[in-house]
Amino acid sequence: MSNLLEVRNLSKQFSAPGGPFRKARSMHAVNGVSFDLPKGRVIGVVGESGCGKSTLARLILRLVEPSGGAVTFAGEDLLAKSASQMRALRAEMQMVFQDPYSSIDPRYTVARAVIEPFEVQGRKPDGSAKAEVEKLLEMVGLDAGLASSFPHQISGGQKQRVGIARALALRPSLLVLDEPTASLDVSVQAQIIGLLEQLRDDLGLTYLFISHDLSLVKYFCDEILVMYLGRVVEALPETNAPARHPYTKTLMDSTFEPDPKLRRLIAPLEGEVPSPFDLPPGCAFAERCEYATDICRVETPALNETGGHPVACHNPL
Amino acid sequence: MSMLSVRDLGVAFGSIHPLSGVSFSVDRGQTIGIVGESGSGKSLTAMSVMGLLPLIGGRITDGNIEFDGQDLTNLPETAYRKLRGGRIGLITQNPMTSLDPLKKIGPQVDAVAILHLEMTPKEARARTEDILETLRIPEPALICDRYPHQMSGGMKQRIVIAMALAADPDVLIADEPTTALDVTVQAQIIRLLDDLVKERDLALVLITHDMSVVAQTCDKVVVMYAGRALEFGTVETIFDAPQHPYTQALIGCIPRGGDGTAKLDGIPGTVPTVMNYPKGCPFHPRCTRAQEICTTTQPEFTSYGDSAAACHFAGVAP
Amino acid sequence: MTATISPLGRFARIKNRSLGALSRTSVGRAFSSWIGKIAGGFIILLVLTAIFAPWIAPFDYAAQDLMNGNQPPGWPHLLGTDEFGRDVLSRVIYGARTSLSVSATAIAISITAGMTLGAAAGYFGGLFERVVMTIVDLTWSFPDILIALIFVAIIGPGLTSTTFAIAIAYLAQFTRLTRAQIVRLKRETFIEATINLGAKPHHILFRHLLPNAIAPVIVVGMLAIGDGIVLEATLGFFGLGAQPPTPSWGAMMSSGTAQLFLSPWVIIFPGVVVAVTVIAVNLFGDELISALDIRERLRGS
Repeated sequence: MSNLLEVRNLSKQFSAPGGPFRKARSMHAVNGVSFDLPKGRVIGVVGESGCGKSTLARLILRLVEPSGGAVTFAGEDLLAKSASQMRALRAEMQMVFQDPYSSIDPRYTVARAVIEPFEVQGRKPDGSAKAEVEKLLEMVGLDAGLASSFPHQISGGQKQRVGIARALALRPSLLVLDEPTASLDVSVQAQIIGLLEQLRDDLGLTYLFISHDLSLVKYFCDEILVMYLGRVVEALPETNAPARHPYTKTLMDSTFEPDPKLRRLIAPLEGEVPSPFDLPPGCAFAERCEYATDICRVETPALNETGGHPVACHNPL
Repeated sequence: MSMLSVRDLGVAFGSIHPLSGVSFSVDRGQTIGIVGESGSGKSLTAMSVMGLLPLIGGRITDGNIEFDGQDLTNLPETAYRKLRGGRIGLITQNPMTSLDPLKKIGPQVDAVAILHLEMTPKEARARTEDILETLRIPEPALICDRYPHQMSGGMKQRIVIAMALAADPDVLIADEPTTALDVTVQAQIIRLLDDLVKERDLALVLITHDMSVVAQTCDKVVVMYAGRALEFGTVETIFDAPQHPYTQALIGCIPRGGDGTAKLDGIPGTVPTVMNYPKGCPFHPRCTRAQEICTTTQPEFTSYGDSAAACHFAGVAP
Repeated sequence: MTATISPLGRFARIKNRSLGALSRTSVGRAFSSWIGKIAGGFIILLVLTAIFAPWIAPFDYAAQDLMNGNQPPGWPHLLGTDEFGRDVLSRVIYGARTSLSVSATAIAISITAGMTLGAAAGYFGGLFERVVMTIVDLTWSFPDILIALIFVAIIGPGLTSTTFAIAIAYLAQFTRLTRAQIVRLKRETFIEATINLGAKPHHILFRHLLPNAIAPVIVVGMLAIGDGIVLEATLGFFGLGAQPPTPSWGAMMSSGTAQLFLSPWVIIFPGVVVAVTVIAVNLFGDELISALDIRERLRGS
């Protein structure tokens, strides 16, 4: 199986310039992330707010310029591409955004929003524009009668379907899904997830799925990357692999099962997520980790495969 | 006798009726979950109990709200003000709407005990520190001297809980208390609320959209949809043998990781807004079992054991 | 402990939230209240009067009739005559032409320049933005009259100076407003989504950013026309604007000051027209802001 996407040591450093009343500071939003995404697979990236998962998605698509590392998409080195080469390549790699409420221009009708990708790429759809709109709307399960509606006239779930139709218009091979259901009701979330599953099967898509919801990621994905403060701390090769990193274990324990018979007492995680601006040396989780030893506070662990799947921990479980 | 009971509550804003026929009751040491999607009327139910409807131009048109034997339905605002934040505590979704950004934490929490328990500032501060300690907040005295913006979201939510507890309430109403928080923090807060109910013998009304949170914490559940209660019962019956098609579908919408056998279907269609509540059973346009009668007649509750569902076909095998 | 829970917001949201441009329906909504009807009706009437002045005015605005100077309002001079016996009504009618055309031209120039500068500053950001905004803010720190005096000193008194003075005086406002809109819109998801489709900068700017930014700018432009009329009248009053015999409301009031007690109608009628016009423009602009639901977007710029 060939890799559609290869990410190597990808990093992004943001810096806040200093001023008369504050020091200049910088933070690693994403720090040395590497993984392979084979064609047709679904990798989930899970983590809590501020862990860098959304930035990672934008670095891969070069919506945010990385400060280091490499991204290879279908054999092409993305970071070596010029702006115009990159624009052409974007047709192949699309994104579905978290907030459907602002992901369509309020002045655009559904039809215009869905056909815009062709206009932007200077392409013509195979049939007429009208036929293409109908085809795309049908593909995402929307009634063709909605084509002339404006965004404020349709529901959040319908907007997200329009967002997906827009992303699919140019027939991409990779879809990056950035929390596509986080702002939807559960009943609608399930619809959208069902649609994405069906599209993957019908169109042979490859997904990178970003989410804070571990049960959703477990349900939807083949492999899972767990992020904490900009780093991948564990790469679960399958969704029911046991946690080896203490943070992953906490995350799993904190995720409730929808079954009152599976109630459990949750051992509360002590402390707070440290500020990404002045990270202590060593493992970022060490402060809150019950298994932490002296080395954890000195040396940052790298992803390591000894004894099981990759985990960045000195004392894996 | 129940600490708080709501019977057949109906609410109107002008000619709009966003809420009707909502009933539930909760005892000391018990947690009831009010669960529903957006627009189901669950937050409005909380506001009705808190007597906040007049503030936003609404009024109670039907039913009654009883708190510890006292009828709250027509309670004047002055009397309500004593109860609210006193014997009935409220925890909101966004802690920033409950905390004053310009005041230090200590005085904000103290104010509750000074107002409702008529304590001196000194007594109130001692009490505040006690409460913060029971909420497992490290170094309470230090925290009292901080401003809200110097804290994380989870810590702010704990302060809001501390404020709700400061007047020693009998009932705590928590409106989506963990929705804005990360899962690990959510787990801490839920654990905390759970412990408080047991230790202080509180009655907790937990309003949430998250069925997993309900399964983890509640004793009883009310499932709401389009301004109506569709099913209520013990948490075991709601999850093991739900009778209402909506409850069944809602449980089917929860992703369960792991084996990958269960398929997510979702519920076709969209959640209705206040302006277009359907006639008859509010769920019928999205219901796979809907018949002619569902489009015209609002179903009555059919009891089964200690639970009940408002469905014409409750108890009938699909 | 106050509770700001969602239901309130949910009801508020039911109200149409049109983010769209100045569509026909939104302007229609501005006419729905009686204030909108009266103010809008007056503005339409004024514009028609200005356009059809030669057919409406009963007399030639420049025709002197020294024998009938300083006639009080009556027949045939409905609003009386000035010291040269010119018909005040006809001069007020022709004055609408001068005032409206000068103010509208000036604001059009100002909007064009302001939107270009503001959009470029907001879109490109960085040093370019800082330089543009500093220069533009500098024009804001000069009083309008001073700017006008500078132009008068360079190209002499007249309507050209007045036009440029008004244009410069309002440049900062439009630049800042456009820039604020663009900066806000740039953060919207649909812009990121469109960039990710492979859109070129001009597509983002001309198909998404500017069309979404234009509505508030047009409304503020309309309000500025009202202020422009006052500024034009002020300059005319000081003799720096329209030169005789061009009829201008400001110049008419200026010439009326000499006979203030002898023939007050010469100064009163142009004054009333200026006041009513400015009030009408502001009231209608207010209705338009409500109809378009853009009050929030006009703040903070």
